[in-house]
Amino acid sequence: MVEPSAYLLLSAILFCIGVVGVVMRRNVLIILMSVELMLNGVNVAFVAAGSYLGDVAGGIFAFMVMTVAAAEAAVGLALLIALYRLKETIDVTELRILKW
Amino acid sequence: MSLGNLASVGYFLPELTVTATILLLILMHVVTKSPRSNAFGFLSLVGVGAAILLSGIVPAGAGKSIFEGMAAYDGFAVFFKVLTALATLVVIFMTMDSREMDGRSQAEYYIFLLSTLLGMFLLSSATDIVMLYLSLELVSIPSYLLAGYFKGRERSTEAAMKYVVFGATASGVMIYGFSFLFGLTGTTQIAEIGRSLAAGKATLPMLLASVMVAVGFGYKIAAVPFHMWSPDVYEGAPTPATAFFSVGPKAAGFAVLVRFYYTVFAAPDPGSALWRLTSAVDWPLLFAALSAVTMTVGNLVAVKQDNVKRLLAYSSIAHAGYMLMGFVLLSPAGLKAILFYLVVYLFMNLGAFYVVILVSNATNGGEDISDFAGLGSRAPFAAVSLAVFLFALTGIPPFSGFIGKVYLFAEVINRGVYWLVVVAGLNSVVALYYYARIVRSMFLDEPTDTAAIAVPGVPRAMLLLMVAPTLILGVYWEPVARIASDSIRMIAF
Amino acid sequence: MAGFIETVRFSDPYFPIFVLLVIALVTAVGMVFLSQATGPRKYDKIKYSVYECGVDPLAPASERVSVKFYLIAILFILFDLEATFLYPWAVLFRSLGLFGFIEMIIFVGILMVGLVYAWKKGALEWQ
Repeated sequence: MVEPSAYLLLSAILFCIGVVGVVMRRNVLIILMSVELMLNGVNVAFVAAGSYLGDVAGGIFAFMVMTVAAAEAAVGLALLIALYRLKETIDVTELRILKW
Repeated sequence: MSLGNLASVGYFLPELTVTATILLLILMHVVTKSPRSNAFGFLSLVGVGAAILLSGIVPAGAGKSIFEGMAAYDGFAVFFKVLTALATLVVIFMTMDSREMDGRSQAEYYIFLLSTLLGMFLLSSATDIVMLYLSLELVSIPSYLLAGYFKGRERSTEAAMKYVVFGATASGVMIYGFSFLFGLTGTTQIAEIGRSLAAGKATLPMLLASVMVAVGFGYKIAAVPFHMWSPDVYEGAPTPATAFFSVGPKAAGFAVLVRFYYTVFAAPDPGSALWRLTSAVDWPLLFAALSAVTMTVGNLVAVKQDNVKRLLAYSSIAHAGYMLMGFVLLSPAGLKAILFYLVVYLFMNLGAFYVVILVSNATNGGEDISDFAGLGSRAPFAAVSLAVFLFALTGIPPFSGFIGKVYLFAEVINRGVYWLVVVAGLNSVVALYYYARIVRSMFLDEPTDTAAIAVPGVPRAMLLLMVAPTLILGVYWEPVARIASDSIRMIAF
Repeated sequence: MAGFIETVRFSDPYFPIFVLLVIALVTAVGMVFLSQATGPRKYDKIKYSVYECGVDPLAPASERVSVKFYLIAILFILFDLEATFLYPWAVLFRSLGLFGFIEMIIFVGILMVGLVYAWKKGALEWQ
């Protein structure tokens, strides 16, 4: 059997890749994908914890996170398309109108 | 003792009303030929009004855990339900009066508004981290869409895009913290998590979890340093939606912040009237620092703004900082001060935004301080109202904002956190400067256009309805203060 | 439960695999960074072309995809994920009884409202 800590490590790695992606990448599409990666890291942690503890709540939580992630992605993509139609770019450094 | 699903439905009527209204709005939009009509606004008014009436009726001996422990039905939840629904009600009126929305499809706007309201209802009563996460997202996702409602306008779409990226990241961090809490304690009920954590000793994962959860909540109440999205969103969104964001979701964010942290990381101390920390994580200190930084950054940046909408956005960040002062004290009086401040903040902030909308209607979307020049002679009623709201926001007697601040400051002084009082006091002086700038422009500067601005009946009545509590609560605040102190009773305590 | 989030155990049979992964990752990332840090930089027009040698491309490789695809994809993902909620319900159908049945009817009913909305808005039309 795989140690539960290995799953946690995997979830931490996925989450960290996601965070780095959000911070470093400039393409909004990639940023949205990185957010999804973060949420997938969370899902791994929940499912691992749930199965270790013998509690279905972990799996249920992962289900909910997936659904919310889909809704968030739908909204994000829709806004992205609207943005692209206006600006012909999805580079965050081009989002210059609104700043301090 | 938690009620089963079927038995809980009776305690869920406000939420059901709002849900039914949303579905009706969608169906009406599908069948109707005129998506721009005000009928959607009126239907939303009826739905929200019914929800307020239904949530206002608290049966004696309130305080029940409903839906198998998913949500709470207690004074605290009811208080926030009425508060957020009231804010929504005013915002619906604002939307119908705003010329910004003319010629656009209205149905979706109200659907998003009411979905956010439903999320806020659930957020203020959630007692399970699954429910908490879902309701937080139910507040966030329609908010993204509201912010980007003008999809042909670059500002609006950009703001919404930023909002999605910030919001999704913050909630992702928060939920990662939840996964730690679940792994450490093996339960999703926040009361159970609290008991389980109190029994064990503080560990590194626990510290990490509490910080990560703070990120999610901090983003919702727009506390520095998670505030970056808010000025952009406040400026890009339709003005009524901005008014809504600055009050509704912020109040719900405070509700969930208080409920979560007080349930999970603290316990009521039977010996005294205070709560004590059950964890070695000193979150009061963490949040005290956050409070000081939040109000300072909000105020200092607000000074430099010329756009009134953006100025109000930064000042609302500062107000979140003031309210956090009550959160860190671990005392019922501190919580009561937050609740009281939220009530007065609701009226003064929404009122200020109402006048901004009226001015923007009259000046073709003008929102700069220069557009307010000479408002005192062009529309005396609106100008005097705005002056009242702005002085109340500053915290000058005899307006309601002063009493709100007195409650907050008094409790901080009682607990001996003098440095926070000094910071907050200095901040109020800064706030006076930029609020007074608008007032000066209204009454002393010469307008470029001297034509009188007509204020129709409905906005006039609404302004009056918001000026009245702002004035009355400044001299006679006892009943509202009593409601606030009655409402801090939560299930877990 | 206290030992749940702890350090990786060295006795674990999977530990060598983990070490291997780390070494692989470090090598891969290290090579990329090292070559960027130390390698010579000689960029000219040919270096930037899609194929450094061979036939020039006839058209840009990034073809524009119609927005309709995104719309359909978004709708698919949403309804697909909502449908997954039917599985746990179906497994427990008998023990949930009439209450569970009515609850699921309400859930599907709300989904239907969403579908009707998408339909009437013309989101399902291809043209």
